[in-house]
Amino acid sequence: MTAPIIVLDGGTSYHAFSLNDPVLGPWYDRRLYVDDVSAQALGQAGTVIVPCRLNPDWLVAHSDLLVGVLRQGGTLIAMGETEPQSWLPDIRFTPVPTNFWWWLEPDGDLGLGVAAPDHGLFDFLTLSEATWHYHGTFEPPDGAVSLINDAGGGSILVDDCVSWPGRLILTSLDPFYHHGSFFMPAATRFLVGFTQWIQSGMPIRRHRVGG
Amino acid sequence: MTRPIAYLSPRADAHAPFADLVPHDLHLLTVPERALPDHEPDRFGALLVPMHIDQRRFADAAPWIAAFFQAGGTLVFNGLLAYPFRPELKPFQPLARPRVDQFRVRIAADHPAWRGIDPNDLTFRRGVAGFYGRGCNPPPAGARILGTIDHGTCPVDWQWRPKEGGRLLMHAGNDLWMYARDHTSAGALTPQLLRWCAAEEVVS
Repeated sequence: MTAPIIVLDGGTSYHAFSLNDPVLGPWYDRRLYVDDVSAQALGQAGTVIVPCRLNPDWLVAHSDLLVGVLRQGGTLIAMGETEPQSWLPDIRFTPVPTNFWWWLEPDGDLGLGVAAPDHGLFDFLTLSEATWHYHGTFEPPDGAVSLINDAGGGSILVDDCVSWPGRLILTSLDPFYHHGSFFMPAATRFLVGFTQWIQSGMPIRRHRVGG
Repeated sequence: MTRPIAYLSPRADAHAPFADLVPHDLHLLTVPERALPDHEPDRFGALLVPMHIDQRRFADAAPWIAAFFQAGGTLVFNGLLAYPFRPELKPFQPLARPRVDQFRVRIAADHPAWRGIDPNDLTFRRGVAGFYGRGCNPPPAGARILGTIDHGTCPVDWQWRPKEGGRLLMHAGNDLWMYARDHTSAGALTPQLLRWCAAEEVVS
């Protein structure tokens, strides 16, 4: 039996509607409301997902539990607007003003590019599925891999297998928010592909040809 | 003396995003969401609830909310209702695969908060529609429909009087104060909403 995938639930409307989604919800082994999180509840987790916009106040107050996941060899996934720089050590993050309007410009381009085309995630989604808007960029630590960069070379999706006994995945994208708010179809496709990648054991290398 | 208006903040140290625009004769307080039950339910004349709160926690405060209504309170609820905080309420219903024309806002009844506002300024921001609402929190029996989308069929805004008293103003979309800094007629929505909240005894 593989170690379970736990997704945290901040009690927001979009966490509820995303996790109640009959397509997405069953892919997570356990949904854990923030008031029910404990070291014991997280102890057996293989992967803990911090969905976008989970209240950073709660994350700061419980950073020891989340760092514990990484120290014990688990995988921690932190999504957009959760301010991981305030509850994880050594995170270099630069917020950027959200550009909701890039697609209104002639030849509009958000400026994102695939930085690691051989990464296993890209067996499950393409750049277009990660393209709606983003909320900032990370500077990956040495040895970590940026999967997607913005035009300035900052990362919006980092896979860090080197800084901890476990694995840390950071993104400044907010797909749970958009899927659970019933808008931004790209965010829904991203969340489906991203979750399928998690379900597949988060392979680092691609297995499929092309795509 | 008019009781203060409370803004329910998801963050412990944040202020309302429109705090600097509150008319000087009105008193706005920020209440962190976890601290709500620590306050007496009759302390505030109005409670403004934004879309990013922990709705599960808010629904757990249902007895407090009922007491707030009993004390004549006005609750302005923004967002997609996932955890109904009263038995008369039901979860958000999204439009199914909506087209742009279905996002057009119509003002369905005269209300002090929306008075003088061009519904096109609510529908479109920089020419883009869909920010205002994409479905409804189904209105209970007796609710007065204030605004609709989907060609008048989807009640995105309504007002209702709970049996205990008070007023519930429901907006099933992004926070109404997202327009507070718009240089259109929609910019008047936030100050007019605050004025309406402060006029507790006037049933509009």
